[in-house]
Amino acid sequence: MRGAGLTVRDVLYEAPGAGTRKKIAVATAASLLLLALLLGLVIRQFAIAGQLDRKYWFFFARGTTWSFLGKGLLGTVEVAVVSGILAFAAGFFLMVGRISQSRISRALCTGIIEFTRGVPTLLFVYFFFLVAPQLGIRLHAFWKITLPVSISACGVVAEVLRSGVNAVPKGQREAALSLGMREGSVFLKIIFPQAFRVVIPALLSELVIVLKDTTFAYVINFPDLMQNASVLISNYDAMLSVYLLIAVIYCIINYLLNKAAEAVAVRGKEKGGAK
Amino acid sequence: MSMSQTPMIEMRNVEKHFGDHHVLKGISLTVKKGEVVVIIGPSGSGKSTLCRTINRLEPIDSGEICFDGKPLPEEGRALAALRSQIGMVFQSFNLFAHKTILENVMLAPMDVLHKPQKEAREAAMELLKRVGVDSQAGKVPAQLSGGQQQRVAIARSLAMNPKAMLFDEPTSALDPEMIGEVLDVMTELAKEGMTMVIVTHEMNFARRVADRVVFMDEGRILEDGTPEEFFAHPKTERARDFLNSIKDH
Amino acid sequence: MRIEELLSQFGSQYVRALLTTWELTALSAAIAFLLGTAVTVMRISPIRPLRRFGDFYVQIFRNIPGASLLILLVYALPYLDVVLSYRTCVLMAASLIPSAFCSEYLMAGINTIDPGQIEAARSLGMTFGQIIRRVVIPQALRSSILPMTNLLVATMLTTALASQVPLNPRELTGIVAHINTHAVGGVTAFLISAFLYCMTAVAIGQAGSWIDRKVRILR
Repeated sequence: MRGAGLTVRDVLYEAPGAGTRKKIAVATAASLLLLALLLGLVIRQFAIAGQLDRKYWFFFARGTTWSFLGKGLLGTVEVAVVSGILAFAAGFFLMVGRISQSRISRALCTGIIEFTRGVPTLLFVYFFFLVAPQLGIRLHAFWKITLPVSISACGVVAEVLRSGVNAVPKGQREAALSLGMREGSVFLKIIFPQAFRVVIPALLSELVIVLKDTTFAYVINFPDLMQNASVLISNYDAMLSVYLLIAVIYCIINYLLNKAAEAVAVRGKEKGGAK
Repeated sequence: MSMSQTPMIEMRNVEKHFGDHHVLKGISLTVKKGEVVVIIGPSGSGKSTLCRTINRLEPIDSGEICFDGKPLPEEGRALAALRSQIGMVFQSFNLFAHKTILENVMLAPMDVLHKPQKEAREAAMELLKRVGVDSQAGKVPAQLSGGQQQRVAIARSLAMNPKAMLFDEPTSALDPEMIGEVLDVMTELAKEGMTMVIVTHEMNFARRVADRVVFMDEGRILEDGTPEEFFAHPKTERARDFLNSIKDH
Repeated sequence: MRIEELLSQFGSQYVRALLTTWELTALSAAIAFLLGTAVTVMRISPIRPLRRFGDFYVQIFRNIPGASLLILLVYALPYLDVVLSYRTCVLMAASLIPSAFCSEYLMAGINTIDPGQIEAARSLGMTFGQIIRRVVIPQALRSSILPMTNLLVATMLTTALASQVPLNPRELTGIVAHINTHAVGGVTAFLISAFLYCMTAVAIGQAGSWIDRKVRILR
């Protein structure tokens, strides 16, 4: 009969009567018209400004354009993946430190987590770009972007992992201890694997933030997607079309990552429900 | 006696589908003013749906439903106004989680009937006292037991001075020891002459309080009679099977 | 550079930078909340094109990187004969992105309400508008306090984008870049800004959980 998964969005409206149906139809038509008008205005503005001109778009038909952008994307992905791995490793240790028995370790890790979560990525980027060289730290451009991005993410990762650990029922630990397992191996073999599964969606969402943060690579001239885009722009004098395309590419990648996170979350819930 | 000529609720040839599932098949049912009608039947028989069509929480495909002599409005303010005259109590209480017990009872009289706050508060306290939860007035729903929440839900409906009350399995979500307190309130209401339609599995309650028992199966009304007739001499095989199956428990 | 030296030379600039960050954050967050609410109304409306548009809006602005959006606003829009001030561009970037998340949190808040309460309100004779005002919005707002405080912190972090355009006065990130390109500010210049950001974030977080404790709905 009535599905158990009913949400408020579903029950908010009753089956419409004749009067309501008419109102909805009128509103639908009006809103369609309005949206079409909006789209028309945007396109008109493109046309007036001459941005629909062939010279701004023809090079997208060339393979070399795409292979150049592809190289940039590869740089972006490299930074994102390495940052993701570093952030996960650091986040793991921060989480362990935060839930440990030692008060000093707890305070220290809580402090670090709050610090990394409260400071903008760009400020960390400037630290590695401008401040670190003053301290005699010479880094390759790759690390000048990868390190700030991963530092910026590790605190969130730690908190995500901690929420996962908290979600594992207490009985799991007690059962494992009563089987004679040691505290450390209980955590690594019993608690953490379960916690990890719960937080995969949240970790994927964090990966989206990491990917977004990699765009600051242009600050330190690392050849990522954004940087290669600006090379393309100076070659073809096509600022609008290229930056628009780049934005679309980022949106699509992040959209897919978010969809993956949702899919994992749904699958996890179904599994949980089957128990 | 001309008043009692118009029935409170009248359903004629009501049909209803959920997709491919034919839930109500040619339902005709009349409930007189002051009458207590208990609807019983196996789960999935359509009894809850029937109850929910009376205030149009479920729209119907065809047929006619009249309340106090007037056909149910289709939508809008007219429908809302009609609903304000019919109390409804749900299986899962459905109290407003962000409001206190007292506010739950005061909300609709103030918003829908535009009663002044002071008057609404006094009436609400009176009703809470009547259902025995006045000492909990300042708490929020989650702090109350299921039985207490359901009694508040009844008070909330009564605050609108309804002409009739619908009960959709009001005790099914309750722990056994709390069922009695809710049924007691309902029994009181019945004694005071409230028109009631009750979907329930509580057979003893039906025997004691109902003026009529309606038995439903697979979307049809199979029997409609006094509790004495129905429980002692069920006419249909289905009803006999049903009564036997619940006797075992 | 030692901290006393730094503060005597740049102290008043830091104060102004902190105030600028606060101002940008407050303004962006307010705009984001209004936009987010408007988009949420579209997304729960029965008018399908508006629903689609709302969903599309959210997908765009929750997925576009801040730098990418800012660059579009600052450098690409003039090619469409739309020239906005730097400040407007920063405010737009720092409010459009959070507005998408704001809408997501509001939707999640709406979905925490038990649908049975809507039916109960309906059976009491409340109209659609009354149900929205009395039952849906109050509960959705209360259960989105914590996400909203996180959003406020995220908005503050997004305002660091202002360091990418010549904005006067500078905000907390811009001033670090400024000091370190004009003088040798060293770690201290960085730490002062980081500290001010962190304290603001902690204060927002504390205020948020205090409000949440006050209004949280027991379930």
